[in-house]
Amino acid sequence: MTNVVDVQDVVKTYRRDDFLIKVLQGVNLQVAAGDFVALQGPSGSGKSTLLNLLAGIDRPTSGAVRVAGQDIGRLSESDLALWRRRHIGFIFQFYNLIPVLTAFENVELPLTLTRLSRAQRKLKAETALGVVGLTDRMHHFPRQLSGGQEQRVAIARAIVTDPTLLLADEPTGDLDAKSAEDVLDLLVELNRQFAKTIVMVTHDPRAAERARTLVHLEKGQLATAA
Amino acid sequence: MRKLALRNLLRNKLRTTLTIASLMFALLLLSLLMAFLDLLASTAGSSDNRIIVRSAISLATLLPESYWQQVESLPHVEAATPLNWFQGVYKDERPENFFPRFAADPATLFKVYPELHISPEELQAWAADRRGFVAGKALVQKYGWKVGDAIFIKGDIYPVDLNLVLRGIFTQPKTPDQEKVLYFQRQYLEEGIGKRGLIGTYVLRIDSPANEVAVRKAAEAKFENSDFQVRAETEKAFQLSFAEMLGNVKLLFTVIGLAAVISIFFITANTMAMAARERTAEVGVLKTLGFARGQLLRLVLAESLAVGVLGAALGCGLCAVLMPVVGALLAKMMPVFGTLRMSGGNWATGLAIGVGIGLLSGLGPAVSAARLRIVDAVRRVA
Repeated sequence: MTNVVDVQDVVKTYRRDDFLIKVLQGVNLQVAAGDFVALQGPSGSGKSTLLNLLAGIDRPTSGAVRVAGQDIGRLSESDLALWRRRHIGFIFQFYNLIPVLTAFENVELPLTLTRLSRAQRKLKAETALGVVGLTDRMHHFPRQLSGGQEQRVAIARAIVTDPTLLLADEPTGDLDAKSAEDVLDLLVELNRQFAKTIVMVTHDPRAAERARTLVHLEKGQLATAA
Repeated sequence: MRKLALRNLLRNKLRTTLTIASLMFALLLLSLLMAFLDLLASTAGSSDNRIIVRSAISLATLLPESYWQQVESLPHVEAATPLNWFQGVYKDERPENFFPRFAADPATLFKVYPELHISPEELQAWAADRRGFVAGKALVQKYGWKVGDAIFIKGDIYPVDLNLVLRGIFTQPKTPDQEKVLYFQRQYLEEGIGKRGLIGTYVLRIDSPANEVAVRKAAEAKFENSDFQVRAETEKAFQLSFAEMLGNVKLLFTVIGLAAVISIFFITANTMAMAARERTAEVGVLKTLGFARGQLLRLVLAESLAVGVLGAALGCGLCAVLMPVVGALLAKMMPVFGTLRMSGGNWATGLAIGVGIGLLSGLGPAVSAARLRIVDAVRRVA
């Protein structure tokens, strides 16, 4: 099975005032197509940093990050934006929906960057909202939705372009138990039924259990892999 | 993108409304000032081939009559006529009874102002009557005068009252403001005040506007070493400087207008900066979705441009509606204000200022949004 993610000897350091903070210290990680990886670890272990590197929204200090066959560290800012459009679907902990757009418009937003016609965009956005079970809420604004529903809209926005890789940063971190369970069910379904490759950062052991593969980060290094 | 820009614009309706209202009133003020300046600079009836010669000291300082022939004999001068601003009070001091009154020379007045039409018989009748006066058709109609009617004008600048008889009516349909003027014989004024040979201004008609600079320089040079140095200027410049007797109107108007534009620029820039700062995380999200720098730049600029153009259009529009009303009110004091209108140039300038303010005020936040690192944007929220 081909690897969608291939991280080689990645080091990431930040400078904070006079201090150099080494967040990732030579991380190697491969994620096969169709896998569902849960990235665990204590706060400050570097899991969100690793997720950001996979999304191409941050760059490694050294090492290589290949996603969907592309060494994304070599891409320019504009090429990286184009690459993200095609290959990455990102789910934030706090949903990060655009409050002035309806659920439908939020989901349609990534499609406005494509050459699709309005009718094609509508069909795809409605389909994505159907997958997350929110067809009846598509004309609601985020403030009119519950946290769980907002996160489901965010998932619909992430999958609407059919990206190569779905990245989720603590997707259940801001939800009650029932909503968290619904969101995890949805991610599992996307992985199993639609063969979406997913990398999820989570603190929650129950969430991590739903993944196929567990990866543990400790002080910027990969501790275990199951 | 357009939908998002529009929704962002309406996100904080009160703030957007207040910003647009500020712009609207600034542009209203600016458009009014520009219209006043236009009016002063191109008062109806002013001509490019007329030059006004007056004392270099002030309009209140009179010139010797001996200058008349000297200015008339300058190269390119076809005719010259003396004019004295009389002012005075007709009926009462209410603004609506104010109109320009000049002491003039019947023999040369209409040679310098050939666009004013009067019958030879009426001109002759005026010239033959020391107490005679001629007036424009609009003025005659306003007061219901008929040829032969007598009127009384009380002197104020000059200590002499005038008992005048209407001897002729001149017309100028193209510029009705020129029909709101009264001319009487200068000899009558000289007799009244008991002094002869003092002239307020000389009006010269030249052969071509192209020779205007040469004639002005020649006139000023001619009297450079005399006791009464002169200032020669085009009729338009003179009318502007006449208005400036109230103070440096042009400078004042320009300063007020600039102050309004600059202050409104900072208000709009502050609004846009606040709006952009509030949406830092959203910018991060949009970038994560694949929005490129240029697209984010355009998104922010579209919003600020909309504010600028909308404010300017409303300001100019309101000005266009109010201008005739303001003009009508001011015309009671000075009839020339009756023609106060919003010109195409005023519209273009107002809208251009709106576009400029919109683009400049949005540029900083737009560049910041475009340059923002996604991790920084998202971290601020998480």
